[in-house]
Amino acid sequence: MRIYLIVLLLFAAASAGAASAGAASAGAASAAAAQTLISGRVLDQKGGAVPGANITLKGTYDGTSSDADGSFAFETDETGNQLLSIQALGFKMQEISITCSGQPIAINVSLSESINLLTAVTITAGAMEANDEKKSVVLKPIDIVTTSGAMGDITAALLTLPGTSTVGNDGRLFVRGGDASETSIYIDGLQVGNAFGSTASNIPTRTRFSPNLFKGSFFSTGGYSAEYGQALSSALALNTLDLPLRNQGDISIMSPGGGYTQTLVGKQNALTASGNYYNLAPYQSLVQQNFDWKKSPSSWDSELSVRQKWGNAAEGKSGFIKAYFHTEGSTMAIWQKTPGNDLPGEDSRGDRMALNNRYSYGNISAKHSGNKGWFFYGGMAFSHNRDKFNINYEPTRQINQLVHSKAVAVKDFSPQFSLKNGLEWYVKSYSEALTDENRKRNYTDHQFNHFIEATYYFSNKLIMVGGLRTGHSSLAKETWITPRFSVAYKLENRGQFSFAAGRFKQLPEEKIRVLQTDLKKTAATHYILNYFFVNDNRTFRAESFYKIYDHLITYKGSATSPARIAQNGSGYARGIDFFYRDKKSIKGTDFWITYSFVDSKRHFANYETKVQPSFAPKHNGSVVVKHFVNALKSQLGSSWSWNTGYPFDNPNLPGEMQCKTKSYSDLSVSWSYLPKPNVIIHVACSNVLGRDNVFGYRYSSQPDETGTFASLPIGQGAKRFAFIGLFITLSKDKAANNLNNL
Amino acid sequence: MKKLITFVTLSLLAAFSAFAQDTPYQKAMKKEIAKVIDADSLPELQQSANAFSRISELNPKEWQPLYYNALAYTYQGLNARLTTDKKDEVLALADALVKKADALSPENVEIVTLQGFVIMAKLSADPAGRGQSLSGQVMQTFGRALSLDSKNPRALIMMAQMEAGMAKFFGSGPEKACSLAKQSAEIFAAQDEEALKAAILPTWGKNLAERMVKTCQ
Repeated sequence: MRIYLIVLLLFAAASAGAASAGAASAGAASAAAAQTLISGRVLDQKGGAVPGANITLKGTYDGTSSDADGSFAFETDETGNQLLSIQALGFKMQEISITCSGQPIAINVSLSESINLLTAVTITAGAMEANDEKKSVVLKPIDIVTTSGAMGDITAALLTLPGTSTVGNDGRLFVRGGDASETSIYIDGLQVGNAFGSTASNIPTRTRFSPNLFKGSFFSTGGYSAEYGQALSSALALNTLDLPLRNQGDISIMSPGGGYTQTLVGKQNALTASGNYYNLAPYQSLVQQNFDWKKSPSSWDSELSVRQKWGNAAEGKSGFIKAYFHTEGSTMAIWQKTPGNDLPGEDSRGDRMALNNRYSYGNISAKHSGNKGWFFYGGMAFSHNRDKFNINYEPTRQINQLVHSKAVAVKDFSPQFSLKNGLEWYVKSYSEALTDENRKRNYTDHQFNHFIEATYYFSNKLIMVGGLRTGHSSLAKETWITPRFSVAYKLENRGQFSFAAGRFKQLPEEKIRVLQTDLKKTAATHYILNYFFVNDNRTFRAESFYKIYDHLITYKGSATSPARIAQNGSGYARGIDFFYRDKKSIKGTDFWITYSFVDSKRHFANYETKVQPSFAPKHNGSVVVKHFVNALKSQLGSSWSWNTGYPFDNPNLPGEMQCKTKSYSDLSVSWSYLPKPNVIIHVACSNVLGRDNVFGYRYSSQPDETGTFASLPIGQGAKRFAFIGLFITLSKDKAANNLNNL
Repeated sequence: MKKLITFVTLSLLAAFSAFAQDTPYQKAMKKEIAKVIDADSLPELQQSANAFSRISELNPKEWQPLYYNALAYTYQGLNARLTTDKKDEVLALADALVKKADALSPENVEIVTLQGFVIMAKLSADPAGRGQSLSGQVMQTFGRALSLDSKNPRALIMMAQMEAGMAKFFGSGPEKACSLAKQSAEIFAAQDEEALKAAILPTWGKNLAERMVKTCQ
């Protein structure tokens, strides 16, 4: 019975199938009579042909593509009212109602442009970005670690970019006539307090954070977004890596130390832990030093980073949370000669300066993209820095703390228009104590900020951004509003012009503020005009700027013991800089050349009049070359950095800041060799020519018997610095290496 | 009994439609797949991409139209006549389509392989500038595909290509790359292409494997 039924069913099904097939063919036959031909042309707003547009009769498989001259034609069996949709890359979709009745339909369609963020104009005024994804960037993240002479220091690599000045006895970022305190540094949008290692005066420092933590950076030399404040000159935003690729262990053995990093990767999360130890003593015992070290610098650091991802970007909702913690300690002791010192014995070595630093930074940041064009990000960061100085056996202790919390919501109202709104709360506290005498002074300041920024694309060629940043300081008891504005226009030939302007506020440095806590904000106004051109492998950038300072701090006496602090300083910086990068003209070679002209004068600190500050050389330049030699499996690198000398004040002469050092020049070379995919050997040497660079002069505080002030040059720690490192990556994937450690 | 009859009827009907008669979806897919395999010009590839996009619109739960749509854009992204900007534009479309396909069918070896192929195309748009940052990602993605199915011939030949590049760079022998290529070619030769085509599963890559095996000899 059962079998019979099955056979019967089979038969029935087969005949039913045949019947339906018959019906279908009948349908096709009758439709053939009623087939409608739809044809036309797809054009852009200027009447040009749009080839490759997708023309679809909605809800059916019928459709076609436009050809080279924008024309299309197809037939459909459908009848009645239908919707024809026309879609092309770079244009807004258009839908047209048609009625299919067997009569041919001819339609010409004119599509309007849509905003394509990948190729649309971007604001490049003041901005220099290192990014793997975007177009209008001057660097790739890898460039920061492969720039010769940078020795893996982010700041040193940025100093090869236009708008910066190398100040060899400081090591921090000096931007367009601004001093180092005028640059704020952020990690994942959250500010970092004491981002540079603590050091003694005239001994250069470096960034505390390893470049291989970051996937990209955004360095602004002026006119930046309302999102950033408390920086008169510059903002540097560093973005940490999302999910690493694989589980791996990285070993580094270097002339100044070594370390180990372990990375563990899950499906949606990752953990990285690392520890490093550095000690310059062995190196400094082998290579002659100009500095009179009592104890060579040594440091340790450890880091932990945890990342968790959720959602799926393709489905709309997704997000990321990152937690990062860094802690380190360092010590050094040095004798620093005093000018005119002719004391016998140990006293002839000058001032004894010992430093013991402990530093911690932690942040938690999250971002989430939701539905309907909403995007949220924010987080909280904490930095703690403690410096124990011991100057001629007089111990002092300075503690700097910073808490930064931030919440931002961005809403895309349309592809053209988006609005960003953010709230920030800072707690800044500083204390300094003379430990033996039990004397202490300190302050705590709460700062509240709100920022709002609107971005509007008029077209793919014209963009405008306007913002307002409002701030309040509880200690200074003042509130301020600063406007920011920028606009960019893209030309036909891949070039673009941008203009940015804005007002920027910053509260004085903590060492001054702790002496006089009611000090108000200092201020600067920026105007920037930029031209940017990028074409496959060539980039050209020219930028002119004008910056006006007001309410700068002035005082009498020295920086260590200022008196009569006031806020009537002012100044300006103006100039132009150029950048040209070429990866194409010379085979296997990538090079960039920069030139920056800065004309800056300011009346601030203990300057009596408006003078060129010591940290703003007039003409600055650099050349960076990277050449790949396949046969040697090596990258050879060289960088040359130059300026026309640093102004300094000679008390033996009338006037102020009336002298200038000889020009500065440093040629560095490096060689990275990859003998195996997971092994890198890196050798580098700075100042190979052994030039005796001078950054200024120190003068005795009192004249000698002949009435002259004795002087000592402020120079380099050693003629050259040589580095050798071996980097090994251990992972299942034998091809992995830590190129980022170069 | 009644239940059984319905079950049998339904399964038979399903069997029939599979063998005797393609659904409009399958018909459209087969037609377009045949075209995209032979397409060798940018306009043809754009036509294919458009056609698959029309099919996905009607079949939003199927990963194959998204997959082939992405493939048509990836082929465009490899075309030497396009500028880097234009390549990036089409590869960004490919990338978004692959991600959509992946959301519909996670842990699918074919989709993961295509994902690697898209990154490889991005890399080859600017090898000097992107080699260092992307080569690791490509290797990792093909590695993930092979961990899902170590016998997938497309994942194998793609990995073989990357291995060949690495070997060339480090001056090591081509043995590893060639053995992967050989493995891939053997799997291609042994598979029933018609059956795969009937099930609208990917079949491309055979020529690539055969060519590489030839250069290995």
